[in-house]
Amino acid sequence: MGTYPAVVYPTDVPTTMVRSREQKGAKVGGPRRTNRTLLVLLLSSLAATRSARADEADPGFSLSKFEAHGFVSQGYLRTTSNNYLAKTESNRGSFEFAEVGINFTQPLSEKLRTGIQLFARDLGPIGNYDIKADWFYVDYRWTDALGLRAGRIKLPFGLYNESNDIDAARVPILLPQSMYPARSRDYLLAQTGVELYGRLLLGAAGALDYRAYGGTIFLESTTPPGGPIVVQELTVPYLFGGRLLWETPLDGLRVGGSAQKLRLDSTFLQAGVSTLVKIPALLWVASLEYAANDLTLAAEYGRWHVSSTSSVPEDPTFNTKLDSERAYVMAALRLNDWFEPGAYYSLFFPNVKDRKGTGAQQHDVALTLRFDLDTHWLFKLEGHYMLGTGDLDRRLNGGAALDDLTRRWGAFLAKTTAYF
Amino acid sequence: MRVIQASILLLWLCLLGVGGLALAPQVAPYLVIVNAANPQSSMDRKFLGDAFLKKTTRWGNGELIRPVDQSPDSAVRRRFSEEVLKRSVTAVRSYWQQIIFSGRDVPPPELAGDAEVLEFVNKHAGAIGYVSGAASTSGARVISVR
Repeated sequence: MGTYPAVVYPTDVPTTMVRSREQKGAKVGGPRRTNRTLLVLLLSSLAATRSARADEADPGFSLSKFEAHGFVSQGYLRTTSNNYLAKTESNRGSFEFAEVGINFTQPLSEKLRTGIQLFARDLGPIGNYDIKADWFYVDYRWTDALGLRAGRIKLPFGLYNESNDIDAARVPILLPQSMYPARSRDYLLAQTGVELYGRLLLGAAGALDYRAYGGTIFLESTTPPGGPIVVQELTVPYLFGGRLLWETPLDGLRVGGSAQKLRLDSTFLQAGVSTLVKIPALLWVASLEYAANDLTLAAEYGRWHVSSTSSVPEDPTFNTKLDSERAYVMAALRLNDWFEPGAYYSLFFPNVKDRKGTGAQQHDVALTLRFDLDTHWLFKLEGHYMLGTGDLDRRLNGGAALDDLTRRWGAFLAKTTAYF
Repeated sequence: MRVIQASILLLWLCLLGVGGLALAPQVAPYLVIVNAANPQSSMDRKFLGDAFLKKTTRWGNGELIRPVDQSPDSAVRRRFSEEVLKRSVTAVRSYWQQIIFSGRDVPPPELAGDAEVLEFVNKHAGAIGYVSGAASTSGARVISVR
């Protein structure tokens, strides 16, 4: 039991007690097979629609607007000490930092649209270029004030969660990891279910953009090799949440908040005893963004409340509560068509009741230089100065206690992305 | 006497010419055009910006708004983007990257020049576009932006 954290919270769940289906060696199970079937069906219908419509005369609403977009990224990471996201501490650093995605969208009528994105990545121990359906949906928009999406839909959590993967859409290589942790992508990026959305004009007061969603996340349970437990089942019985953004009358100023509630149930065998651990979590974030002309300023503050209860009441390991704190401020300024520098400060406290100690915090000061080499090709350089190790993965660091890792450290990243 | 009269006439003509030049209407940097069937004659800048970002997708009569953009490196696109959308062309392209790859929508088509935009607008009932100030708007309705 000592190898597992006292409280399992979403950031750690995929990397400690269980593995997400995205991780190397993940088994092909039921949910994935279901997703692949859906994917094949959707692609077939898109292809059929396209071929059927290709020769039609444009009736004013052109169904020839089948669109395909994609991107390919290759990155490099290196740290002065501690392994971060991959095996980055060696002299060679790590090139296990790549993404590729392609999406297809097809309007079926003026109000109905469908689409799918295939995505693969490699980030240290995660991904291994396993192709998956990143999102797929059927979207019906009655009016601007009300639309419905069903399928696997990206979660509107905070300002940038939906565009977390999209290097071309932002300045930093890594978004502030306190708010958008790359290694928790499976838990935070998308859900399978439905979403109601809309935008309401408020006249002189601006506009309200709102989303409400509910569904689940399909996860595969794999047992960490050599561990003392065997994971039998991993489910998310419910997930729901919403986001409200007020677009103020001042051009480019948005203020809002997001909240998400979910529960993760894990059944595992330990010393021959089957144990069910329920991990309910409430995540919220308050957001502020000013984006006008060539300047972007953003700030977000959030808390994640995570508890766990075990079917073995006397087991203290899985009967705990944890409240983590996350925040950042970020700025970027485009100086010309090809150059845009940016910077942010991000902080993370895994447990607000314990803010002292190397492993109880992580402060991150980042500086990024973005070069747009072409309208479809960019290159970025990024440096981080880190204080604390609270967001590091122990497994990448030889299982060492976070308090025993190097307190002050730096990270250097480079990345190039082509997109269309 | 005739010399004086001729001089006065010449001076008057010169003044008229200079004044005429000075008073000639300045060519607008861009003209916003809609399909001739569209009854709209003026439009709020915010509405126009929302239409091009596809935040607002319907005209008042329920017709689908079909915005059309110009090439990213064109001067008219740059001017329109900065004045109407209040963002640089590059910033708007980043906005669309977010929308495209999160599966929310796709950007308006980008056409090569004024003639193509005019053709698109004349062809589609809900279309809206912009052309450079000196361009032909034949067949389309020019609307003023408040």
